[in-house]
Amino acid sequence: MALQLNLLHEEISEHRQRQRDPLKLGVMALSAFGALLFLYYMWNAYQTIQIKSHLNAVESEWRKVEPRVTAAQKRAEELRKIIDSTKVLDDIIDGRFYWAPFLAKLSHCVAPNVQLIALDGGVAEANNSITVTIEGTGAAREPRAAAEEFRQLLFEKLEESYSEVKVQFKNLEDLDTIVNVGGVAMPSARFVLNLTFNPKPAPAKVSAPPKKIAKTK
Amino acid sequence: MKLTRFNKDQIQKIILSSIGFVALIYCYFNFFLGPLNKSRASMTQAIADLQAKTASSKTEMKKTANLEVQAKAATSNYTTLKATTPEGAPIAWFPPKMRTFFADQRMDKAAARLESTADYKQPELSDWIKDTWAVELPQGDYNALGAAIAKLENTEPLLAVEKIVIHATPEEPQYQQVSLIVQTTLLRR
Repeated sequence: MALQLNLLHEEISEHRQRQRDPLKLGVMALSAFGALLFLYYMWNAYQTIQIKSHLNAVESEWRKVEPRVTAAQKRAEELRKIIDSTKVLDDIIDGRFYWAPFLAKLSHCVAPNVQLIALDGGVAEANNSITVTIEGTGAAREPRAAAEEFRQLLFEKLEESYSEVKVQFKNLEDLDTIVNVGGVAMPSARFVLNLTFNPKPAPAKVSAPPKKIAKTK
Repeated sequence: MKLTRFNKDQIQKIILSSIGFVALIYCYFNFFLGPLNKSRASMTQAIADLQAKTASSKTEMKKTANLEVQAKAATSNYTTLKATTPEGAPIAWFPPKMRTFFADQRMDKAAARLESTADYKQPELSDWIKDTWAVELPQGDYNALGAAIAKLENTEPLLAVEKIVIHATPEEPQYQQVSLIVQTTLLRR
């Protein structure tokens, strides 16, 4: 058997060792992994740039819209204030008591033998009801009856337009003074009437529906 | 089976490679990918916020346009009511206005004086004030007074007669002495 001498043994062994060098292998693996990570980073960066450009577009749209929105919000607030104020002012206007119709009604109730001396009326702040004090004199054969007639007529007239009407004598007294009415001398009486009423008209009474007549067989 | 035996030098190199690997991972996620993702998330959030704001703004503008149409009547009414308050202090123009008004209604010598000024309790009327005036009519006439009050109530919507006192004057039986307490709602100038 021929003797074979491998004179390159050491060189081959060194070459193999160099090839299996852990540091070299590690650097290669790291480089490969680093390259993968870099590619992944680049992909993410590309997506981020796209998002950034989208954000810029959205921001520029918002910059266009913002002043108009601010103006619209300001105007809406102003309009709401106007609507609310107008509503409250309308309530104030609608809640007023109109004295002219009342004075007209009162003048229609005054007969020739009745004379009014004073009137003092006002609107109660608490419930908006009206209170009026009327002072006057009535002359007739029965002067108290003349005053009572005036009271009743006034009550009826006021009840046509207002609710919760109360017309009451505060004072009624005969006077010694004789008054000449239409050429006839008549005794007189002085009266003070207290009136209270709600300016809102009384709600219309709803009549009950007619009862069905049961048919008899 | 032949087990691979590492010598000391090789073990050191493996440890060094492992440290390098860990350092690479750490640096990559902390200094590169992490901030990038963070900024991407914040930008996405900003886009969502802005888009929501833009959408709600467009709705808001539509609502305002609708409100403008709805408030047309109220706006015109409000402008009319505002126009009832002339420029200047009320004390300067209200008494002459009453004097002229009642003189036109055949009641001379009318005098008005300011009794009180107050604010309204309602927050909607923060721009308005409530003035109370005493109007004296020494030469009143019942019929003329009724007509005058009717005209006043119909032409001055923000004026309300709160109290009325009529007295017969024995010295001048053709006249009645009239006192009115009038409340006006005026725009704060």
